[in-house]
Amino acid sequence: MEAIRLENLSKAFEPLMAVDNVNLKIEQGELYSFLGPSGCGKTTLLRMIAGFEVPTDGRIFIAGQDITDVPAYKRKVNTIFQNYSLFPHMTVFDNTAFGLRIQKIRKSEIEDRVMEMLKLVKMEDQAAKFPRQLSGGQKQRIAIARALVNRPEVLLLDEPLAALDLKLRQHMLIELMNIHDAVGITFIYVTHNQDEAMSISDRIAVMNRGQIIQEGPPDDIYERPQSIFAAYFIGDTNMIPATVLGIEDNYVDLRYESKTGEGFEFDSTFQRVPELGQNITVSLRPEKIAISRSKPEDQEDFNVLKGVIEDILYLGTHTQYIVRVDDLRFRVFNQHKRVYFDDKALDWEEEVYLYWHDTDTHIIEEVEEDYRQEDLNVLDQTNLESRH
Amino acid sequence: MNRQRGFYKGMNLTLFTFAMIFLYIPIIIMIVYSFNDSKIVAGWKGFTFKYYVDLMNNENIRLAFRNTMLIAFLSTLISTVLGTLGALALENLRFKGRKLLNILVFIPLIMPDILMGVSMAMFYSFLRVKTGMLTVLIAHVTFCLSYAVIVIRSRLEGFDGSLLEASMDLGANPWQTFFKIKLPLMMPGIIAAALLAFTLSIDDFIITFFTTGRGFNTLPIYVEGGIRRGTITTINALSSLMIAATIVIVFLSRRFHKAILKHL
Amino acid sequence: MPISISEQRLDEKRNTRSWILSAPVIIWLVIFFLIPYLIIFLYSFLTTNVYDVQFRFSLDAFRQVFRPIYLKPFLLAFRLATITTALCLILGYPVAYHIARSSQKMKNYLLLLIIIPFWTNFVIRIFSWRVFLSANGVLNETLMYFNLIDEPLRLLRTDLAVILVTVYVYLPYMIFPLYSAIEKMDFTLLDAARDLGANEVTSFFKITLPLSREGIVAGIILVFIPALGTYVIPHLVGHQNALYIGQIITYKIKNIPRNWPLASALSLSLLILVSLILFFLTRRYKRERKVS
Repeated sequence: MEAIRLENLSKAFEPLMAVDNVNLKIEQGELYSFLGPSGCGKTTLLRMIAGFEVPTDGRIFIAGQDITDVPAYKRKVNTIFQNYSLFPHMTVFDNTAFGLRIQKIRKSEIEDRVMEMLKLVKMEDQAAKFPRQLSGGQKQRIAIARALVNRPEVLLLDEPLAALDLKLRQHMLIELMNIHDAVGITFIYVTHNQDEAMSISDRIAVMNRGQIIQEGPPDDIYERPQSIFAAYFIGDTNMIPATVLGIEDNYVDLRYESKTGEGFEFDSTFQRVPELGQNITVSLRPEKIAISRSKPEDQEDFNVLKGVIEDILYLGTHTQYIVRVDDLRFRVFNQHKRVYFDDKALDWEEEVYLYWHDTDTHIIEEVEEDYRQEDLNVLDQTNLESRH
Repeated sequence: MNRQRGFYKGMNLTLFTFAMIFLYIPIIIMIVYSFNDSKIVAGWKGFTFKYYVDLMNNENIRLAFRNTMLIAFLSTLISTVLGTLGALALENLRFKGRKLLNILVFIPLIMPDILMGVSMAMFYSFLRVKTGMLTVLIAHVTFCLSYAVIVIRSRLEGFDGSLLEASMDLGANPWQTFFKIKLPLMMPGIIAAALLAFTLSIDDFIITFFTTGRGFNTLPIYVEGGIRRGTITTINALSSLMIAATIVIVFLSRRFHKAILKHL
Repeated sequence: MPISISEQRLDEKRNTRSWILSAPVIIWLVIFFLIPYLIIFLYSFLTTNVYDVQFRFSLDAFRQVFRPIYLKPFLLAFRLATITTALCLILGYPVAYHIARSSQKMKNYLLLLIIIPFWTNFVIRIFSWRVFLSANGVLNETLMYFNLIDEPLRLLRTDLAVILVTVYVYLPYMIFPLYSAIEKMDFTLLDAARDLGANEVTSFFKITLPLSREGIVAGIILVFIPALGTYVIPHLVGHQNALYIGQIITYKIKNIPRNWPLASALSLSLLILVSLILFFLTRRYKRERKVS
């Protein structure tokens, strides 16, 4: 059953289109994420669904009913705010009971439902406290209880974990998933954090410049990004600009044209047959590349390149190598498993071989020149953040 | 931790102490002398409660006290209610009358009181209005209004609008949201404004002096008359009582001082 | 990109709501604040018949304003305001500084110490000085008791008394804005200055004072302007032969022979003077803020 449908939804904030003609459907009980850099329009989209922003154009349907012109307080939608927005002059109990009291529900029932909900978020013994006496994680739990106690059709979560520290964030993420399983309500989750979105969502919509640029389950988005932006934004990747030299049954011959060196050729499988001579971009995830001092045995489906190690970053779970091949720099993640390691650790300035299976690359039918500088800046920013 | 050193510390402590003595000596002496058994201000003649008893039996003082409280209460009520509305209007940054309202509220604050007194006296005379309680009340509301708007507005400046969204999100309509969320959270500012208005009203001499008519006295007017007539000792006792009341009010309202001082 | 109809309507609705909310305040202030000022303006062009105004156009009032007998009260008031403001600044600054540098708990108590006299009734505060300064008042009695003087000094009804009491009454108005400005200051700057070799006097004049400028300007405005228009203080403790502008205006309105047109013209002059001072103070302040 369909929980939410957006039709041609747009919102203009002069001179910008914060949300630009968005169409989508979210199923009942789904955990759906809007993922994108700050300013991509994901929060505006959420606020339109909640009823805090009036769309410039388009319609919003909840459970099949057009609610575009219904005010926020009449929508069966509840929101978890980024800064929790707990009422400072009310106790935990009163905060949680707020929605039910507005609905003029019987007192005994309110008590039951509030306590039940506080139990669900493990805050039943804090009912008499005021928000200022709670920690960030506890406030978060109350915000969740306060919203869910009203049994909304849809729960909107606006960067709910952004204010928490890393450990707590991971912990709350699991709790959120448990709560979602327990209540079976549709969750719409807005975040700029790809790890959060990847781990929690049934489906993700990647947003940029007010538009949804790709939608699908997390693995699909990670493995088969349809744009350079999506590939960069979710996880790390190496982008190889290439030209299609030849097309075989299940792979294509590609060539990287270097500006200073000889360039190189390699093979890749494809989803859609490209045209001969077409300029495309190949995304190659750093963890898919093997690195070795000795030349690997020739294998039909492997691409092998020779390069020089420029930089080594030890990151605990894995080591990141920056390897220069011709005038390209490849990022390579090498997990610390003894079987993959040479006897002696690799060193700076060493010559190494990079190799990967030709099914591990993914062809994107775009070239980087198509991108505006601001998008690239956003991506640089995102990459920097994700690396740190 | 106190990180003041040599020059600062020495200079500060000396001048601070001096300033405190300066601020308190006249008040303390007056309180002490209110118990002095002498008709005129003179050396110590012995302890007496006599003037406090006189005070209680003085019909004029009782009337002046009643008038003061009535005016203070009504002008506080009116100016705080209107001030709250005005502050709410100023919250809308795209309000086209914002600049007008801000200027209109600001000017009375910085003009010498005497100008407001003079202008109102002429205004009433021009309209041939009989001066008395009503004219005093209107004048008091006028000068309290600006303070009320400004104190309440400053409280609203840091207001977290997402709380209102949260309330609507939870099903409260705009009216319910106003009365259950906004108003309770504005309350400290409103109380601070009311406190300030009340104090200003009680404190005022000059504007009352210009706008009152025969027979309508407030305490400051009565005290000033008493000083000129020379009924000093009763005034001593009255003043001491008023100072005591001030101290009580100041202590009771401690938590609102920051809000008031911030916008003085 | 066009704004949608519904957004425009929402904006208009909010604007209308703001007008409705602010209407009582605006109407009140226009009727009871602006119009009375207009009447001052109007009256200053009329004449008088000792008891009441006569509605006949005349520039007499303005001509009189420039007579020495009316210029002198202006000068007196200006002098009083200047001396008072300077004294308040000199005395108030260390107090504000001391409070701002105290511990949080101490701060609250010290502020209370300032607030109590500040909230004590204005007339009573002036009256308390009469008790203190009068011929057989506490100060004279004490001095005579210790044989420092043989007969009472004339302290009351002098210019000195007016200045003392004005400083006394308006000192808190100087301390509060100074306090807020100094409290906001980053005191580690002083450590930095010391680290760079500035002694305490230098760092006070180069760092503390410039950084509290906002408070100084506010304090000056809050003291200077009311001091300029003061009536009650010179009326109760001042010399009968040295009248201040506030007194002249009041007497011309209250006492017979009345002269409301003259009182209006004098008020108008005071208004202009105040506006000029405000303009001067805030303009300099704005420019300085722009530079920094």
